[in-house]
Amino acid sequence: MSTVAWITTRGLLGRRRFLLLLPLPILMVGIALIPRFNGINASDWTQPVIVALGFTTLLPIVALIVGTGVLGAEIDDGTITHILSKPLARWRIVVPKLLVAIGVTAATAAVPFYIVGALASGPRLGLGLIVGSTVGAVLYSTIFVALSLISRRPVLLGLVYVIVWEGLLSNLVSGTRVLSVQQYALTIADKASSSPLLSGNVSFTVAVVMSIVVAVGFLALAIRRLESFSVTGETS
Amino acid sequence: MSSPAGVIHDIGYQRYDGERLGRGDTFLALYSQSLRTVFGLGRSFKAKIFPWLVVAVVAIVGIVVMAIRSQTGEVVLTYAMFPQVLSTLLVLFVAIAAPELVSRDLHSGVLPLYFSRPLRPADYAMAKLAALVTGIVLVFGGGQILVFIGAAFSVKGFGNVMNELADMGLGIIYTALYALVFGSIAVLIASLLKRRAVAAAAIVGSFLVTAPIVGVLSILPSESVRELAGLVNPVSLVSGVGDWLFEPSNEAGFGVGSFGPLYALVTIGLIAACATLLVTRYRKVSQS
Repeated sequence: MSTVAWITTRGLLGRRRFLLLLPLPILMVGIALIPRFNGINASDWTQPVIVALGFTTLLPIVALIVGTGVLGAEIDDGTITHILSKPLARWRIVVPKLLVAIGVTAATAAVPFYIVGALASGPRLGLGLIVGSTVGAVLYSTIFVALSLISRRPVLLGLVYVIVWEGLLSNLVSGTRVLSVQQYALTIADKASSSPLLSGNVSFTVAVVMSIVVAVGFLALAIRRLESFSVTGETS
Repeated sequence: MSSPAGVIHDIGYQRYDGERLGRGDTFLALYSQSLRTVFGLGRSFKAKIFPWLVVAVVAIVGIVVMAIRSQTGEVVLTYAMFPQVLSTLLVLFVAIAAPELVSRDLHSGVLPLYFSRPLRPADYAMAKLAALVTGIVLVFGGGQILVFIGAAFSVKGFGNVMNELADMGLGIIYTALYALVFGSIAVLIASLLKRRAVAAAAIVGSFLVTAPIVGVLSILPSESVRELAGLVNPVSLVSGVGDWLFEPSNEAGFGVGSFGPLYALVTIGLIAACATLLVTRYRKVSQS
């Protein structure tokens, strides 16, 4: 089990495109410094920085690049065959890869979220945001790993989901909020920090229950898809 | 072994005696093929799903606006606002099309084959960019034409129809400005990344990330900083130019103040910079 995780980590961090993940967190911290040192009330800038930049952009985009990179990249260039031909149960391939994706995403998100939270009101908000962003990392990673097993173009499908569903609908139409990962993460971060700066749009119970449902559901789907995965030499 | 070491034998292949087309024709061929690629024409069904999804949504929006206009006479969306309201779809469209146009050639390593023809690096870059810009104008300008058709049948008198036509013309020129800005940024980003998937994510990331920066800058106390905030994000940059051109007296909400000409200047500079970098990037490939 650890070998798969080790190979995945090396494949993920050893490539040049891992550097693509760095600008986003740096930008988030940098942009929080501007209003912080201009003496602007924290309640005015937490919405654009923490919600719009953090939960709507940074978290899903990082999770998308990492989540589709751990499995989708190998399916894409055909090297998945090497792992599939080993005497390993398929869930022993999915689970370590998913854990690596969650770990990398959560670590990339936790640092800027903590710094921004600490800048806004103090360590309590920072820790609360770490909890929220980690929940978000778990859910998004599970969804995108499953997506890379469902579709041949997981990144485009993921982008459509992130932009249209999470970005547009869950902010405009209140009905879809109950089915939005971003709202679960926000609500849980709100509960964990009990800060007046954040306000969740769904109830805490809904957020926790739905998070578990989404995580377990997409994990089961991913395992199921890899169990019936057939290697095809397809070009499109 | 008296014969020299390297000999080219004539093994009887048929010779080509026809006319050899030059650089201009190669450019046109590459442009038309690239335009087909934008919509996935001549490719499998899978390559058509995403571009035509965007086309369908734009068409639906156009038809809904047209229907509201002809039923109630109310203008819900002016021509100039059309690309601005649909800018999220525009980002999605360039993220789908640009990697398909340039990252694919990088991934399969066929660029040396292109450059062994009378095609110059600048031609390749410009053909790809022109194809993407044309694609965007076709899709979003098409939506505006749908709105115009609805309007033309609901307004009274020939003069009013001509007014609508003039408005639509301006709207399409504005769409072309969006297309140039978004297209040049997207092709530049995609030309640096081999994997289509990563390129798509990078394009969307670069557009989405800059939007909250505008949000942060626009709450700062200084008025000039607020008015200049829009320069950071491509969407608000072009909409700033639109505010300056179409609504000079716009006071409410997000105004550009007296910085309208600066917005236009930055827009032109951005397009020029992206195009220059793109050409430079391919000049490097052709030398290696």
